[in-house]
Amino acid sequence: MTLIGFSHWLSSTPLSQVIQRTHGAIASIQVVHIICLATLVGLALSLSLRVAGRGFTAEPLSSLAGRFVPAMWVCLCALAVSGSLLIIAEPFRTIRNPMFYTKMSLLLVAIVLTLWVSSVARREPERATLPRIAVAALYMLVWFGIIVAGRFIAYR
Amino acid sequence: MIAEFLEWLQHTSIAVSVSEVWFPVVESFHVVTMAIVAGTIFIVDTRLVGLTSTRLPFSYVSDRMLPWTWGAFACSVVTGTLMFMSNATGYYDNTPFRLKMGLLLLAGVNMLCFQKVTFRRVSEWDSGRPPPAARLAGLISLALWCAIIGSGRWIGFILD
Repeated sequence: MTLIGFSHWLSSTPLSQVIQRTHGAIASIQVVHIICLATLVGLALSLSLRVAGRGFTAEPLSSLAGRFVPAMWVCLCALAVSGSLLIIAEPFRTIRNPMFYTKMSLLLVAIVLTLWVSSVARREPERATLPRIAVAALYMLVWFGIIVAGRFIAYR
Repeated sequence: MIAEFLEWLQHTSIAVSVSEVWFPVVESFHVVTMAIVAGTIFIVDTRLVGLTSTRLPFSYVSDRMLPWTWGAFACSVVTGTLMFMSNATGYYDNTPFRLKMGLLLLAGVNMLCFQKVTFRRVSEWDSGRPPPAARLAGLISLALWCAIIGSGRWIGFILD
């Protein structure tokens, strides 16, 4: 089956048809997607700052990561669900769009870096070394890149 | 008079440049800075409501987060102004845009009321459970910012 064929099939599924025909459904799912994304960005920024020796320094990194990383995974799950619904509703907008695959590639990098941050947080002593600061900054740039790629899906 | 000003605004060289070339980039930066504004506000407000980071004093959480909130908000104002200029007449007549501006105003009023009234006695509740007025301010802020994001997304669906 080709990508076009798959997109046609996906677009004809009952779930896709329901979302497409319900007034405001796609916009509402997108709003949920953006709210979850903003929540994740806030958590990621706080964590990155802490890895870099800034932000909530009164709390040990291991404790902060112990709270924020699970919350980030919850946000990612919500983003996966809402994102999947958007793909199902409008497969032609995403499945053959190079920008979508750029976003997914960056997401993979973000997930790997989240695992790295989680691992760093468990190590003693917690030191804001230059490599850690650099990776924390890269971590945020990757999340910003995901947002930009997500917006550019609409322009391709 | 307003219509003439808006027409003039969207024909300035900056506005035309944004409209014809830079809009996707400007809009993307707007979404990035919006995510930072909303994300940091969510962390402060969920603390204010007493749901998260309860071992940290509220004033500590807000002191560490709000500089980032304000910095990102300033960038959002710049990018938002550039987008507005690119299609001033269209945005001015756009209902979700007007709603978003109204909601931003309400969010500001909510914050001001909290700062002037409830926050004055923060030393009494900083490390404990926030009083009902503080929790209400936090809930209102969370709801308003979700609505701001929602109305912002709707702008593009209705824009001329």
